[in-house]
Amino acid sequence: MLIYALVLYLILGTLIAIYAMRRVVSEEEYYIAGRKLGGVVSALTYAATTYSAFMMVGLVGLSYSSGVGALGFELFYLVGTIMLLSYYAPKIWKLGKEKGLVTPGDLLKIRYGDLSAKILPVLIAIALIPYTSLQIISISLLLSKEIGFETGIAISTFVIAFWAFLGGMRSVAWTDAIFGVFMLLMAISAVLFATTLLPSSDFSKLGDLLYVPNSFWRIEVFIAYTLPWFFFALTNPQVVQRIFVPRDEASLKRMVILFGLFGLIYTVLVTFLGLQLRLLTELGNFPKITDRDLVTPKFLEIMPKELSVAIALSIFAAAITTANSIVLTLASMFSRDVIKRRSVLVGRAFVVAITIAIALFAIQRPAYVVDLAVMSSTILLCQLPLIFGVFHSKRGGDVSAIATLLAGFTSAILLYYTKATFGIPIGVWVLLISFAAFFFVSTIEKRFKVETS
Amino acid sequence: MRGFEALIILLAMCVPFIAIKSTDLTTYLYWTLVSALYLIYVALKRW
Repeated sequence: MLIYALVLYLILGTLIAIYAMRRVVSEEEYYIAGRKLGGVVSALTYAATTYSAFMMVGLVGLSYSSGVGALGFELFYLVGTIMLLSYYAPKIWKLGKEKGLVTPGDLLKIRYGDLSAKILPVLIAIALIPYTSLQIISISLLLSKEIGFETGIAISTFVIAFWAFLGGMRSVAWTDAIFGVFMLLMAISAVLFATTLLPSSDFSKLGDLLYVPNSFWRIEVFIAYTLPWFFFALTNPQVVQRIFVPRDEASLKRMVILFGLFGLIYTVLVTFLGLQLRLLTELGNFPKITDRDLVTPKFLEIMPKELSVAIALSIFAAAITTANSIVLTLASMFSRDVIKRRSVLVGRAFVVAITIAIALFAIQRPAYVVDLAVMSSTILLCQLPLIFGVFHSKRGGDVSAIATLLAGFTSAILLYYTKATFGIPIGVWVLLISFAAFFFVSTIEKRFKVETS
Repeated sequence: MRGFEALIILLAMCVPFIAIKSTDLTTYLYWTLVSALYLIYVALKRW
């Protein structure tokens, strides 16, 4: 049955992609849908890009094993995103329209010059290709009983490349919109099904899982989880690029508010599902799961077949909607910012090349893939001083920008492997080091320029 | 003003770490309510 559902999913998505392809007449059309998307589609593509397979697999398991702190962690992210978008999105959108910005690198280019925009895609690829591979690995493992692991990898990577290749952003956004709604409906169905299994709603049996801090969510752990995600809206290129796509300011506002509403409902549902399953375990109606990533797969096993197939498909769709957005954004950055070939053909070639890289990582599964995937948001924090600098400071040029990116990036990697953090979360270190590098090098750069002039 | 708003919402989100220790869904409902109210505030007042 899963195979039929997958075939139906592939046909529907491909028809949308072929329809979208007819509108691809320019590079701007291919990468950012010609800045012509309405608020609802913009919101749904923003949401589907943001909320990956992590929600229905990772977050359900995290709520199950650690309790209500998982909701706090995810809602801190959401509140931070709404806060940052309500302030920065109108500025970024306006700059994009006035100066013809297409990639997140363009934003740095107008302020710091070409070189930083060339280095940025490389650092982002190091962070996001393993992250995307891990998504593919997760959904392929989930589907492995039905279709086999390698087939899962093959189907998912084909879908990622094919839809983005054909119709670019418009294709990705339309499929995101349809499957985003599907993801939400399936989360509601999962919660309703878990409710029918619960003989009692006495959540007090969960004890310290219902408050923070508890044995898992200590303050420093909460900060370590929350900080990198709090700035996600400014540091993750696939969502920054989505700020360019709404057709006008009213659509941009609708995008932010509707995304917030989607995020709130989805987060509340998914974390509640985790708590429901834990209560079922405490009541003896669901096995105790020690590996939190196996909570959702176990839950799927006890569902009616039709429902479990639909929910598995929604998890597959969640991974694809995130992955193809990342691939398209990376393709736009490599073709426009690194090799400076402004053509749709080159962009499509990069879509294929990046997807092949993701597939190779997913098949070989080297140990460092997991490390880099876990660190992806922490690594991306190194851009924050530069993005704030675009709007709040006149300091710094090319040298400061490159020094900031490299200092933040290397410190994230070194601290992760050496663990020499003195109890301070790595994200805090990366922010401190990146900001310090930015201020220090920009001061020297300014003096040097004054002296030479 | 926006810095003040940010401070208020972040402090409100931190309240469960200091003031809520009940073994029911109070923390869960509190975080949901604060996030929903902030979203409504941004939708109606901010823009």
